[in-house]
Amino acid sequence: MSQIAAAFSKTIKEFLRERAVLFWTIAWPIVWVLIGSFVFVSGAPQQIVPYLRGATTIAMLVFALMIAGIANLPANIAADRENGLLAKLMSMPISPRKDFVGRILGLAAFSCLAAALVIAVGLACGARFSTTDIGVLQAVGFLLLVICASAGIGLLVGTFIKHVHGAVMTGVGIAVVTSAVSGMFMPYSALPPMLQQFARVYPIASANSSAIYALMGEEIAGYNPLTVSQISLTVALSVFLLILGTILYSRRCWRTE
Amino acid sequence: MNAIRVENLTKRYGANEVLKGVNLKVDEGEFYALMGPNGSGKTTLASIIASVRIPTSGSVDIYGRKSWQAKEWIGYVPQENFSSPKLTGRENLMYFARLLGYSGSQAESLVNEMLGRIGLSADADKRVGKYSGGMRKRLEVATALFPGVRILILDEPTTGLDPSARRKFLGLVEEVKDKQTTIFLITHLGSDAELASRVGLIDSGEIIAEGEPEALKRMHGLGDVITVETAVKSDKVADVLRNFSDEKRLLETEAGYRIYCKHGDKVLPEAVRNLDQIGGKVTRIEVAKPSLEDVFFKLTEKTVAEVS
Repeated sequence: MSQIAAAFSKTIKEFLRERAVLFWTIAWPIVWVLIGSFVFVSGAPQQIVPYLRGATTIAMLVFALMIAGIANLPANIAADRENGLLAKLMSMPISPRKDFVGRILGLAAFSCLAAALVIAVGLACGARFSTTDIGVLQAVGFLLLVICASAGIGLLVGTFIKHVHGAVMTGVGIAVVTSAVSGMFMPYSALPPMLQQFARVYPIASANSSAIYALMGEEIAGYNPLTVSQISLTVALSVFLLILGTILYSRRCWRTE
Repeated sequence: MNAIRVENLTKRYGANEVLKGVNLKVDEGEFYALMGPNGSGKTTLASIIASVRIPTSGSVDIYGRKSWQAKEWIGYVPQENFSSPKLTGRENLMYFARLLGYSGSQAESLVNEMLGRIGLSADADKRVGKYSGGMRKRLEVATALFPGVRILILDEPTTGLDPSARRKFLGLVEEVKDKQTTIFLITHLGSDAELASRVGLIDSGEIIAEGEPEALKRMHGLGDVITVETAVKSDKVADVLRNFSDEKRLLETEAGYRIYCKHGDKVLPEAVRNLDQIGGKVTRIEVAKPSLEDVFFKLTEKTVAEVS
């Protein structure tokens, strides 16, 4: 347990003390919640504006979780590799799995903090959700899938991109581009058919739509992602990415040459 | 008992053979320095002993166990600064203490003790990013000195430190280590290696000489060294100096030259006269005892710095 606690504590402290991490994961999504809440909804009918604000808040919350997993986690791994910490750890009687669990728990805790701040700002801006308790639980479940899928992609980036700068740029690039083309920054209905297909397959976009659907219904989500096949695909791909990332991280980052 | 026993160790990366059948024994409590230029294989050897790399063939035993079964006895300090600059000195040590399985309260008291031993108590709550190079290295050595560690492997720990900080640092290592702790120091600096009780010289993946520092110098018949610094380096100056050197051996350094002779004091005045005659402007000249770098040069015709 103490090894997990050590990795957890180090990860979360480093996230909280890195300005770039705070900017991309907390400040940037909050700025877009503010812009989305007051600029992008200006032409919309008054009665749906709070729900559009709600959808923007959820999308930015998902973006924060994505950045935390896809950019911050690999940057953290690459930094540890670059500065020799992984070599040091390999010389110690430490289990790579415990290090991994500690890192992921640190990431999850930091992601929850970022999510709470984004939601608080969204609610303060007038975001509303029309949902039941079950809808909230469903949304939380889908947000956990976002963390899983993002962490999986982040582990892959951190495993293959050796340097911090490269890992950050790759992670931010993947997060921004995939968000843009999968309808997280715009209504699903505005996407061309090919990108609508991608939005249904890409687990983070699909989980985002599912959370929005669970909290606000089909009108805002753009389609019904809560079908058995769609949920199965989202869960399977999220878990697959996490497992793949874990295996490759444990084997390649901790491999003795 | 041998703390470290390396037998016929080889390491290949594709066609490049980095270690060529290295044999090495280090006794318990010994301070052993492995000195050689960059690319000579010394870091690879250290990382194999620390179980960070695996050898192509051969074996490494730590107190009779295979190295990967003896990780709890090894304190490895890689060349890079691996401590987290975002954490304080105390937090960094707590991280390693917790990784080693100490509970929160045990770790806290142990870390306080370690901080005292390495002289960082007053700066313990500063972020490591604000530490000087020497402070950071001391902290990193502390991560390798937790109870139970029997072999301390230091890979070029003084790189980037000025000469006085280097000596202070190595003095501290000697001071803080347990009497039974074995030190295995990797360096390309003769001045660091001089502090060890035994030195191995490594070149191109092979250990070419081994022994106590003074014995190594005696064994290779190096008498005195004349160090000459000139305003301008030229072939004429080099030729004049070479004539005064035994076996016509001349080592070009950053600021001038080094020549080797049995009785430096007798040769010095004539060397200065001859340099004057050809107009070679000498800025500094002195007779000194040979260093381990000179031994390395005699054996390989290469300087440690030249290859580094």
